Amino acid sequence: MEAPLVRIDALHKHFGSNHVLKGIDLRIQQGEVVAIIGRSGSGKSTLLRSINGLETFDDGLIEVDGERLYAGQTDLRALRQKVGMVFQQFNLFPHLTAGENVMLAPQVVKKTPKAECETIARAMLAKVGLAEKFDAYPDQLSGGQQQRVAIARALAMQPKVLLCDEITSALDPELVNEVLAVVKQLAAEGMTLIMVTHEMRFAREVGDKLVFMYQGRVHESGHPKELFAAPQTPELQNFIGAVN
Amino acid sequence: MMMEFTLWDILRNLGFGALWTIGLSLTAFVLGGTTGLLVLAARMAKSPWLQRGARIYIEFFQGTPLLMQLFMVFFGIALLGVDVPPWLAAALGLTLFSSAYLAEIWRGCVEAIPKGQWEASASLAMTWLEQMRHVILPQALRVAVAPTVGFSVQIVKGTAVTSIIGFAELTKTGSMLANATFQPFMVFGFVALGYFILCYPLSHYAASLERKFHGSTSGSH
Repeated sequence: MEAPLVRIDALHKHFGSNHVLKGIDLRIQQGEVVAIIGRSGSGKSTLLRSINGLETFDDGLIEVDGERLYAGQTDLRALRQKVGMVFQQFNLFPHLTAGENVMLAPQVVKKTPKAECETIARAMLAKVGLAEKFDAYPDQLSGGQQQRVAIARALAMQPKVLLCDEITSALDPELVNEVLAVVKQLAAEGMTLIMVTHEMRFAREVGDKLVFMYQGRVHESGHPKELFAAPQTPELQNFIGAVN
Repeated sequence: MMMEFTLWDILRNLGFGALWTIGLSLTAFVLGGTTGLLVLAARMAKSPWLQRGARIYIEFFQGTPLLMQLFMVFFGIALLGVDVPPWLAAALGLTLFSSAYLAEIWRGCVEAIPKGQWEASASLAMTWLEQMRHVILPQALRVAVAPTVGFSVQIVKGTAVTSIIGFAELTKTGSMLANATFQPFMVFGFVALGYFILCYPLSHYAASLERKFHGSTSGSH
């Protein structure tokens, strides 16, 4: 088996006296779609946010495509260029148009010439089905459209892996599918995805790996279809029962 | 010998005083704004020493009367054997005063920007300076315009205090004229009117800006 794209070794994190991550080990291969599920407080979001350094951790190691991240490390620029992230609340820059949102990081961080950035931005917006919204400001877009722009913005940096933090949780139900369709298409194109999600059906259909977090540990993991069909632990049984 | 002052003489002299008030206000606003940006940068810096220094600076100038600050500049520097002309002491004192307030006003505006904006720009691999320059400040600036214009009214009124160290702006000119004409009520009536003419458009403008930004939600373009 080839070397994993993302490697997480013995990751520990405390919030004060609360031990939120109790030694997480995870290997993710290039092109894998990983769904992380679990109750709120299980540490799933903290784990995801550790991967691009938005959360610090106390002990352990994260490695993404050769970029190593240790506890207490402050220089995250190289790592973050390989890890894209999409947030629950979209977090588009409200003072910039959709196109400018997508162009900003390639221009500022990668120093790509402006004309080239615009070409990239148009291509990325087209990919998420919003080519005609290049000049629209975020407050002129629906939640689903904003989230698709946010995906385009992350993709414009050509990340090796895309982190999705409950990206459909803030959306009205009728807008969820347009965002999931984009994610599904990315998965089909071979993008490596790590997503914290409550969309169990989506995790089962699209995921290659399911990670069930429970009290700061990976309680159970495996192929989603097998795990959903035959959960090994009573906690996962409960969880699946509760959300279905 | 007694000199006679006509109404025109009084108004003309007050007009000159008002010009000094305007000049001093502009100087304090521009230099105070520039210094305020540096204080803001220190206040928000990662280094705890810079942060603490900026906080002490801000708390000192917000926690003591402007008059005491002017005395300290005027008499303090004189103690070092340097003779400070009143205009310089006035400009320096008001600049320091304004910089502390503006830094604090602007810090509030920067902190009003949601955390998600920092996280999104950080996850795109931007450095702190790039985040500030391209994401945070453009949004904070929009929020800052109204309170900044509002504070400029405080600067204009603050210049009146510099009359005490002998700077011949509007108030000082007024008190000299009042002594010479024995008509303090009339003279200071004109002085008050002068401040009102300077300040009213500013506060009116600040209020209309405030309404404009409250009217639009996440972002007006």
